[in-house]
Amino acid sequence: MSETILLLLAVIFLPVFPLSMVFNAVLDKTPHCWMKVIVIIVWPLVGLYIVLNNQFELPDWLIPLALFTSVLYALRMLSLREVNQWTGFLATSTWTLLWLVVEQNSVSTQLYGYAISMTIPLAILIILSKGLEDRFGAAYTELYGGLARTVPRFAGILVVAAVAAVATPLFPTFFFMFDLVVKTVPFNLYATAALLLTWLLWSWAGARLIQGLIVGRASKVKIVDMEMYSVFLYGMVIFALMFYGLHLGGVIL
Amino acid sequence: MEQLILLVAILPLVSALWIQLFAEQIGRRVARLSVTVTAISFVISLVMLGQALLGHDSFTLQIPYTTSIVLFDPLSTLLAAIILGISLIVHLYSVRYMADEEAYGQFFGLLDLMTSALIFMVIAGDLITLVIAWYLVGVILYFLLGQDTRSETAYRFSFWTLITYRIGDLPLIIAAALLYNAYGTWSLTTIFDEIMANPNAHEFMGLPLPEVVGALVGLAAFARSAQFLLHTWLPYTMDGPTPVSALMHAGIVNAGGFLINRFAPVFIHSGDVMNWIFFVGLVTAIFGSLLMLTQNDIKKALGYSTMGQMGFMIMECGIGAFSLAIYHMFAHGVFKGTMFLSAGSVINSARQDDGIAKDELYTFAVEKQPNKFSQPWIIMTGITLVVPLIIFVLAHILIAEDFYSNQSAIILLFFGWVTGAQLIFSTYHMRTQSMWRLMMKSIISLIVVVLGYVFISHAFDLFLYPSEGFRSQLYTAATIDLISYEALLTAIVLFVVSSWLFTYYSEQNAVRRGKQSKHMWLNFYTLISREFYVMDIYTRLTRSILSISGRLNVWLRWL
Repeated sequence: MSETILLLLAVIFLPVFPLSMVFNAVLDKTPHCWMKVIVIIVWPLVGLYIVLNNQFELPDWLIPLALFTSVLYALRMLSLREVNQWTGFLATSTWTLLWLVVEQNSVSTQLYGYAISMTIPLAILIILSKGLEDRFGAAYTELYGGLARTVPRFAGILVVAAVAAVATPLFPTFFFMFDLVVKTVPFNLYATAALLLTWLLWSWAGARLIQGLIVGRASKVKIVDMEMYSVFLYGMVIFALMFYGLHLGGVIL
Repeated sequence: MEQLILLVAILPLVSALWIQLFAEQIGRRVARLSVTVTAISFVISLVMLGQALLGHDSFTLQIPYTTSIVLFDPLSTLLAAIILGISLIVHLYSVRYMADEEAYGQFFGLLDLMTSALIFMVIAGDLITLVIAWYLVGVILYFLLGQDTRSETAYRFSFWTLITYRIGDLPLIIAAALLYNAYGTWSLTTIFDEIMANPNAHEFMGLPLPEVVGALVGLAAFARSAQFLLHTWLPYTMDGPTPVSALMHAGIVNAGGFLINRFAPVFIHSGDVMNWIFFVGLVTAIFGSLLMLTQNDIKKALGYSTMGQMGFMIMECGIGAFSLAIYHMFAHGVFKGTMFLSAGSVINSARQDDGIAKDELYTFAVEKQPNKFSQPWIIMTGITLVVPLIIFVLAHILIAEDFYSNQSAIILLFFGWVTGAQLIFSTYHMRTQSMWRLMMKSIISLIVVVLGYVFISHAFDLFLYPSEGFRSQLYTAATIDLISYEALLTAIVLFVVSSWLFTYYSEQNAVRRGKQSKHMWLNFYTLISREFYVMDIYTRLTRSILSISGRLNVWLRWL
């Protein structure tokens, strides 16, 4: 395959605007929750596989465009209310930043590690959005609210997953962003500024998502909460993510 | 023995995790568990503080199986004891206060998590631990303030807190990245040693690195300590539970002062940044105090009062009085925490009986009927000018003879003078019949406060910064150029003198108050009542960003 086609495929799978719209369209059209989960986990790995197994020169426009994509999707997340869509945009905004690490010739295992560990909270959000659809008919913020009172266990896991996804400390995405800032700040202040802006917008969007779902009075209709074994399972995954994040960040030896 | 410092931070963390995992099994006993653990941590922190007071050398300790470092030094031990002391009181208060809360267990879990994050923040010996703890404090506070998940208002304003804190996290992250790139280590002590040895070894964008890092650390501190333009979250976050308000106003908001103290070796080499910090603190102190005085909502008035105090604390850092800022933080924490925690019982007893004696103070403050007889204003002016000045000069000479050899001391003295003058001015304004008795009481109170303040701040100075050379370097770095210095002192003198002239003018022309001056006052009051339109501007900005976001999504078909 020619280098151009490979690069085109790479920017589809490590989404860069405007080809990032392909991923969001695919995610939107994928009918079943578990298929969405597979799409969201496999997508960046395919991108990384293409990039790491084909030594092509990255064009000069790629990194600025990747940063632009990240900021653009982070900004667009602010006005989203559908949880699947929100997750897809966050995935786009996060994965596109992998280009910065690719440019720095990082070790491939570390790159795959980052890609998978940053995607797991997003996959959890996709599963939880299915849980919302099953319980309330739609996974929309500011539509019903009050999850903290109606389904407290479900709300707890949702909050932690959202917090993990928007690069909060101890989770892998935090160390990924921190590492990027450390690496870019001496050489490329514009890149640092774009990274920090993206990070700030993620926090804002995360807070809007959480507030739109958990705040409010309890539902008058009895809604089934998450089973204890599911809470335990999610809890284990989240703890594992935390430890892996600390390992990736070099905090745990 | 050295491992104890680690225990202080880890115990609340273990308690938080335990509560989170077994909340349902533990039930209402979570409070007992949480209080016990905090009490044990507090006792250990006191032991550590005792060690530091007895002259135990500073040391660093690597947390097993990690690269994280904790630091035992006077600053970390003192602040750990203060945080745990306040946290223990808040815990005890919450046992009954939060009893009706559905998420009772979760609240104590979050409280423990916050305590642990705060302790890790003050004992952090490396930049990664510091950044993580600093960041987590904001996130945990967001959830603590939004404890009542039914209240949309509580979440709306806890969001303001979160986003301001996040804005403040970013400069600290950049500072950490710059320091790591320059010195190749995350260890704070190693970095500080290298900066002290050779401050001009590294540059960033043509500026000395300490100046850049100092400015970034200053910005991070401003956001955390509600400095002007980054203050809007503080007066509005009053919908959270009272114990959280107490913890926030007594502890968390002081983090800016801690951060500046932690980076003291950097600030020694960033004089211009110190001047800027002084200016920001001064502006915040003035605006905070002004807004506090004009609020009719007592909770917002308390919020602005904290803002004003934070302004003073940052200002003290800006003149090189770093240890004074720590003492200020401690004193204000105790004072404000008491106010918040006793508010409930005061309101309750006031409903039965207001308990206010119908004396002269009542007549002046509540009935607003001051006595028509007043002492000659010229005598009062003389007292205002001379007495506070004498008290402050004597108090400082008593503690340290060479105190006035540095410029910062004179600036401090002048601010003390303004405070004393304000006290006497208020006493005069009350027009009580027993003016001289009240005046003597005010002056004696002032003497006690000033002596206590000067003595304790000097003791803090010796404890936190035992090296005289280091202290002297801090004051030297804070020196401002002669013109600005003299302009500042002149402005303070003019402020006090003009206040008296205004009083004289008001008394002489009490009846003839011009329409123009009324109009001016009305405009001024409108400006203040809208809180200088800062919140309005931010709200408009937020709406604009959300609108842009929505339009972009429509144009791009939500893909």
